[in-house]
Amino acid sequence: MIAQQVLNEWYPVAMAAQIRAGQRRVTQLLGQPITVDLQKGAIVVTGQGGALHVTEAFGHVWACPGTPAHDLFPIPEALEPGRRLVDVGVVRVKCSPLRAVENFLDIAHFPFVHTDVLGAEPHTEVNRYEVQIREDSDEVWATKVTFYQPQAAKSAEGGIVTQYMYRVPAPTAAVLYKTCPNRTDAWDVIGIFVQPLTEELCDVWPWMALYDDVTPQAELIAFQQMIFLQDRSILENQIPRLLPLDPGMEIPTQADLTSIAYRRWLKKRGLTYGAQMVAA
Amino acid sequence: MTPRWIATGLSQDLPKAVVMAGHWQGHDLAVWRSATGRLQAWNDRCPHRGMRLSHGFVRGETLACIYHGWVYGADGGCKHIPAHPALTPPATITVASFACVEQDGVIWVAPADMAGAPPVLSDLQPLRSISLTCDVAAVLAAEPALQGQDILRATVQIGEQGQQVCLVAQEGPAGLTLHALCGVGADKVAVSRWVEDLRRRAEMKVAA
Ligand code: FES
Ligand SMILES: [Fe+2]
Repeated sequence: MIAQQVLNEWYPVAMAAQIRAGQRRVTQLLGQPITVDLQKGAIVVTGQGGALHVTEAFGHVWACPGTPAHDLFPIPEALEPGRRLVDVGVVRVKCSPLRAVENFLDIAHFPFVHTDVLGAEPHTEVNRYEVQIREDSDEVWATKVTFYQPQAAKSAEGGIVTQYMYRVPAPTAAVLYKTCPNRTDAWDVIGIFVQPLTEELCDVWPWMALYDDVTPQAELIAFQQMIFLQDRSILENQIPRLLPLDPGMEIPTQADLTSIAYRRWLKKRGLTYGAQMVAA
Repeated sequence: MTPRWIATGLSQDLPKAVVMAGHWQGHDLAVWRSATGRLQAWNDRCPHRGMRLSHGFVRGETLACIYHGWVYGADGGCKHIPAHPALTPPATITVASFACVEQDGVIWVAPADMAGAPPVLSDLQPLRSISLTCDVAAVLAAEPALQGQDILRATVQIGEQGQQVCLVAQEGPAGLTLHALCGVGADKVAVSRWVEDLRRRAEMKVAA
């Protein structure tokens, strides 16, 4: 039995441009078969019990199998003029959708997993940053995050101290804001939208809203895919596959404050699809 | 089930400063050799965020996790957390270790409190490890000359000569592995071909 609060959330199920181009997508959501296709010009998501609630945002199709508890979260930056919106495509990962989100919130792995790109030894220290669960929007936020990076973005040359903010607006989606190498007054925005196929299998859809008019699209996509393939080699080798919500199971440190808050937030809201409640 | 020694690889396949995956009765292990040659078998799970330590890397006398670089010393205790370089990690952060010895060119593992030594395989030399999609019963059925349960021995006719063959069985999550040894002075290439042929015959028994 899947908890009602899990069913009442929004989940990404397809890239909108692909469906609009006439590609039908036969896939799964929360262990149930679904189909995403175009009917009379409208995107429709059909499950075993009929049509699901659908909305289209940030280049992707979102579905809610229950009764939506709220509207899909906004990303106001997506509407800012001058930003390039990039749909990266899909990466399938054999892990809990929640582990995929948690990994996206983690910076301490940069020197070891994205070596010489997003981090490099000996610059491994994670400085103290701030984490809060914002009551008004009911989102997890991490701010004042800084990290030394050898090549922070496709358009970055040489090492810089990058500033980050992280945001979890939905159980299987996360958005990060990072120093834009081309503009000092704006943030680059990168999201991952995770489709829970089952509790131990997910499709990850990275998405970007950047100030970068120069780098060819194919290079931007290749860069981001390289990063996510490196993450996949981690995600498919964590034990257990499910995200442990029992605090005794794993040992976090101060660098993991975002992950701690994310786990607490999931637990408090009963969003436990993909989570392990009691140590096995 | 009474605890016993299980062969998890051959010494020749684990050089210095290398870590590999191992198994003991359904437990996944990280088996590694330090820069000076010290051999260890640990639970294959980093206490931090559960990453397999068999994907980690050896530096000197320590094993580091590939995810966030936590460094574990010879006693299994965490010695360094790169995200907090000034911090001395609490002594409570440790990886559970298994007993691990090498003898006759074979790496043996058992629970940490295991009493006694692994079986002796004298007058033999290590040949190679080979994985199979069948079980031990199919191997025994394919070659009736083999005697034993998890250490299978036989003298078999290979070419002109009778050769001593010893196959040490290990059940893992991906199926059966046989760690093969042969008599000292035997033609290794010929025995190796015989082992491959045995695999084919044993796997056919299952398909039939
Ligand atoms: S999981 Fe091993 S260091 Fe983080
Ligand atoms: Fe990563």
